[in-house]
Amino acid sequence: MTDVHAPTSKVESKTEAADLEGEATRAFGTGPAELAESGSGGTTGPSGTGAGWGRWAWRQLTSMRTALILLFLLALGSVPGSILPQEGADPASVTQYFTSHPTLAPWLNRLGLFNVFAAPWFAAIYLLLFASLIGCVVPRTFKLVGSARTPPPRAPRNLARLPQSVSYPSALTPGAAVDAAASVLGGQRFRLRRPAAGDSGQWVAAEKGYLREVGNLLFHLSLLGVLVSIALGGLFGYKADQLVVQGPANGFSDTAAALNEFHPGRLVTESDLAPFSLTLDNFTASYVDSGQNIGQPAAFNANVTYHASPGSPAKNYDIQVNHPLSVDSVKVYLIGHGYAPVFTVTGPDGAAYNEATPFIPANSNTMLSDGVVKAPSASLGFIGVFLPTAYLTTDGTLESIFPAANNPMVSLIGYSGNLGMNSDVPQSVYQLDTSQMTKISGSPHLMAPGQTWKLPGKLGSITYVGTEQWVSLEITHDPGQIPALVCGMLALAGLLLSFFVRRRRVFVRAEPGPGGVGSIVTVGGLTRTDASGGFEDEFATLAADIADVSAVDSAADVSAADPNQPEPNNQSETGA
Amino acid sequence: MSVNAGLAHVSTDFMIAALLIYSLALLAFAGDYAFGRPRRKAAAAPVAERAAQLAAVGAASAGAASAGTVSAGTVSAGTVSGGAAGAGSANPAGPVARPERPAGAFRAIKDAGPWVVAAASLSWLGILAHVVAVTTRGFAVHRAPWGDMYEFITALTCVAALFFGYILIKYRAWALGVFVMGAIVIALGLAETLIYTPAGPLVPALQSYWLSIHVTAMTLSSGIFFVAAVLGIMYLVTERYRKRVAAGKAEANPLLDRIPSASQLDKLTYRAVVFGFPIWTFGVMAGAIWADQAWGRYWGWDPVETWAFITWVIYAAYLHARATGGWRGVRAHYIQLLGFASLLTNIFVIQIFVTGLHSYAGVQ
Amino acid sequence: MFKVKRRTVVTTGAGAFVLLVAALVVTVVTQGKGDAAGNMLTYPAGQRPAAPEFTATSLTGTPINFASYRGKIVVLNVWGSWCPPCRNESQTLKYLDEQYGPEGVAFLGDDVQDTPTNALSFLHGADITYPSVNDSNEAVLQRLSLAVPISATPTTLVIDKTGHIAGMILGAVTYPQVTTLIQDAGVTQ
Repeated sequence: MTDVHAPTSKVESKTEAADLEGEATRAFGTGPAELAESGSGGTTGPSGTGAGWGRWAWRQLTSMRTALILLFLLALGSVPGSILPQEGADPASVTQYFTSHPTLAPWLNRLGLFNVFAAPWFAAIYLLLFASLIGCVVPRTFKLVGSARTPPPRAPRNLARLPQSVSYPSALTPGAAVDAAASVLGGQRFRLRRPAAGDSGQWVAAEKGYLREVGNLLFHLSLLGVLVSIALGGLFGYKADQLVVQGPANGFSDTAAALNEFHPGRLVTESDLAPFSLTLDNFTASYVDSGQNIGQPAAFNANVTYHASPGSPAKNYDIQVNHPLSVDSVKVYLIGHGYAPVFTVTGPDGAAYNEATPFIPANSNTMLSDGVVKAPSASLGFIGVFLPTAYLTTDGTLESIFPAANNPMVSLIGYSGNLGMNSDVPQSVYQLDTSQMTKISGSPHLMAPGQTWKLPGKLGSITYVGTEQWVSLEITHDPGQIPALVCGMLALAGLLLSFFVRRRRVFVRAEPGPGGVGSIVTVGGLTRTDASGGFEDEFATLAADIADVSAVDSAADVSAADPNQPEPNNQSETGA
Repeated sequence: MSVNAGLAHVSTDFMIAALLIYSLALLAFAGDYAFGRPRRKAAAAPVAERAAQLAAVGAASAGAASAGTVSAGTVSAGTVSGGAAGAGSANPAGPVARPERPAGAFRAIKDAGPWVVAAASLSWLGILAHVVAVTTRGFAVHRAPWGDMYEFITALTCVAALFFGYILIKYRAWALGVFVMGAIVIALGLAETLIYTPAGPLVPALQSYWLSIHVTAMTLSSGIFFVAAVLGIMYLVTERYRKRVAAGKAEANPLLDRIPSASQLDKLTYRAVVFGFPIWTFGVMAGAIWADQAWGRYWGWDPVETWAFITWVIYAAYLHARATGGWRGVRAHYIQLLGFASLLTNIFVIQIFVTGLHSYAGVQ
Repeated sequence: MFKVKRRTVVTTGAGAFVLLVAALVVTVVTQGKGDAAGNMLTYPAGQRPAAPEFTATSLTGTPINFASYRGKIVVLNVWGSWCPPCRNESQTLKYLDEQYGPEGVAFLGDDVQDTPTNALSFLHGADITYPSVNDSNEAVLQRLSLAVPISATPTTLVIDKTGHIAGMILGAVTYPQVTTLIQDAGVTQ
């Protein structure tokens, strides 16, 4: 196989444009001049005036080269957003990063690297990219509309110089041969052009593949649609988190003051929250209990009863991972789970505390959890560790060896004194401020369900009654979700169209044959400069189809003499 | 449902069988590469001689016989050299008797010589074993068999092998066999040895029919980008080599000469990327829909999501570069390879070492 | 033939884009959040949202029907025993209860995300005698939130005799704030 740098369609068709009447390769949407311009971003500098600078800057912005650079920047800019901890996803890790990298972290923070995707410089990159996109797409849309109304160009005089061409003899007259070719092309849904009154020669020009540009524009505009949808969600959507403990008394109603966390969009107020309420009736978690995957979660199921609005009928639903609850305009997702051991605390004045206290898992494999009990009325506080399946190791440490509550135990350190809860300063319910308290003697006190720890002195007592479970739910509302999906699908459709539809032109000319008998038919074709190829096969098949209806039917032809050629159509000639 | 250990065992056996058969295919490709029917006979033929050849090609009733001599080892059917189409391009030789349709693939393979026949047969046999291996793994675990990194890599290489098998037939691409099959053998070997994870159930977060959709699409497109990357490397090698030879800086090396031309490789790479890019786009979209079901938001800049986006952007840059003057050719291929590097980073670095919601690799 | 000067097209597109961006920026930057002065929200007579009707149970188990409070000014305090600012402001509310209770102002608590034991032990220790709704599942709070934007605990509402919300204090209350609202609530014209 020859090492020819082919097809020469890329380079040659540009120079060929000068050779041919200039029409065959006329703008497939963008002409050679514009291709060059879009490639280099405009070779001429700005003219002296302000408008000239503006025009030059605009041309730079909308050039392909700038688009390339911006795409690179977009990719590059996303890298730190995936490597460094990000505020939006994991604020705790960001704080941790500050403590472990005290000199580096503030600098990274100034550059906005802990919240890359909300940073102004990141926004500048994609906004510029979209400006470039719009500036490119809008004119092309106008051009497409224009080109849809213009017929294909005239057939060039010398078809042999097109990237694909073949010629063969035909027994038909030139006019009939061209007509036959036109019917084949028309049957393949090409748009045709025949010579006008003043044009010489017999030819037909055919063009196909306008959908390619439609797809291209659709794709790029849909990307813009996706951006707008994301903005919609950011403005009008919200996200909230809530921890819900099992039991009818522990249900929750979706209201801003009650939510553990509430992240509204810019234009969202508290009254926009969907007024539903729900109760966690039962939560079951199952784990793999044997084999090498022991302890791996197998299934989670949160059975809830909910009301879409105050007074509406109660409904039941199983929320699972990958199976959120849709209520009103929001979706409720199961995000996490944990244990809430129930304690009662009695102080000198009587009952001071009775609640299922959520403990937060410190280790997701074993579900070892931390929590605090605050009983300010009895001036008592406890810091506790909950072990679902407690196990005492040989060297005396206590561990949880399995995430299910097969052997629940709780270990408490008690404090007495002022919990500091009568001040203006809010406190986390998961933290105990022991600065004004004294530790109760007796090192961590281990308790099984049902046991009571009688505190020394007359401080009181604490009873570990039993264990409930809790789930953490995420409530989201995103009005930009469906539009983003629709735009995404349109983008995909546009992409497929623009990739797999080729804009191509086929020309057929017929000259009178030698001696005025029959004709020589030449078929030529070309396709867009950056096409991926594959046109050769289509062209070959097309040419063969055309030849089938218009070709020679006698052995005495003008091909380069090769006596060995068996002509498939010539059975009648070579003898019955 | 518990894992069917017997079927899992069968799967591993077939995977190893595929690996062995691929290695044999690789040897056969290498044999053809080094010792096979000479190609590029007419490398320096003047135009007139070539025209006569083309005319002769056109005059024959079926192009296959001539395809055997002229196009053995062509990468794309019906290209400039006349290939099997008979409908030559840039044809100054004058009319032919009849334009011919493109000729059949199996004839072409047969005519390319016994090495190629052996290599192609072994490749497809290996693909068969590979597909059986992947399928039985799926039956063993009662779900789509791409739920952890081992399964993902074995499925990805299966797709790459299938894609290569396809271009082997359609574009007569046996000259690429050494490189593509070599890469597949290495990847599959790595999967079997370093990354192997025994068949196990999925964590709840992965128990969704979206696994079949999202990860399937990512697997398919990764496999195709894999092949495109191999072709890209070949392109860079041959382009540099030919430039240096043309400038007189290096001697002609018969082995390197047998690599198909840079423009053929460039076109084939472009086609591969064009094929893989929409699938990747679809995969990212399906992932977003699944993320919304599982995590409550369709895009959260999770590290794996971010790198899938970065990969997408880089391949988009490649497609733009290929349409931009001054960026075609070598530069565009660097971009494409950068895109594949980003893909690999996503699989091997981000999924394993960076904590996020996507940490399902299962690698210990 | 459809022919538009490329320059015009491009300029128009650019202009449209710039306008779009400007509009977006302006929208994002300006946010209307109501006429709040500090942490107090007042509604002039005639523009007051209606307080929702509700029935609930108190912490001691007795039924509470909010409709029965019509005809009186009500100071409704959303609180929880786990919430330090709520505990802190309770003394102010107790004092106000002693002051205005005899004049016919009713004080009602809405105890959210709490348990009766915890809440009652606090109330006992703080010597607060006015009743509180046992609103551990925030049902009453939700109804209130549909009328006025309650964003956190504590929040105190003052409701006039016709059952309309005259004002709201976000956060711990001060004596002058509540007094002002009670006087405002007295004006129903």
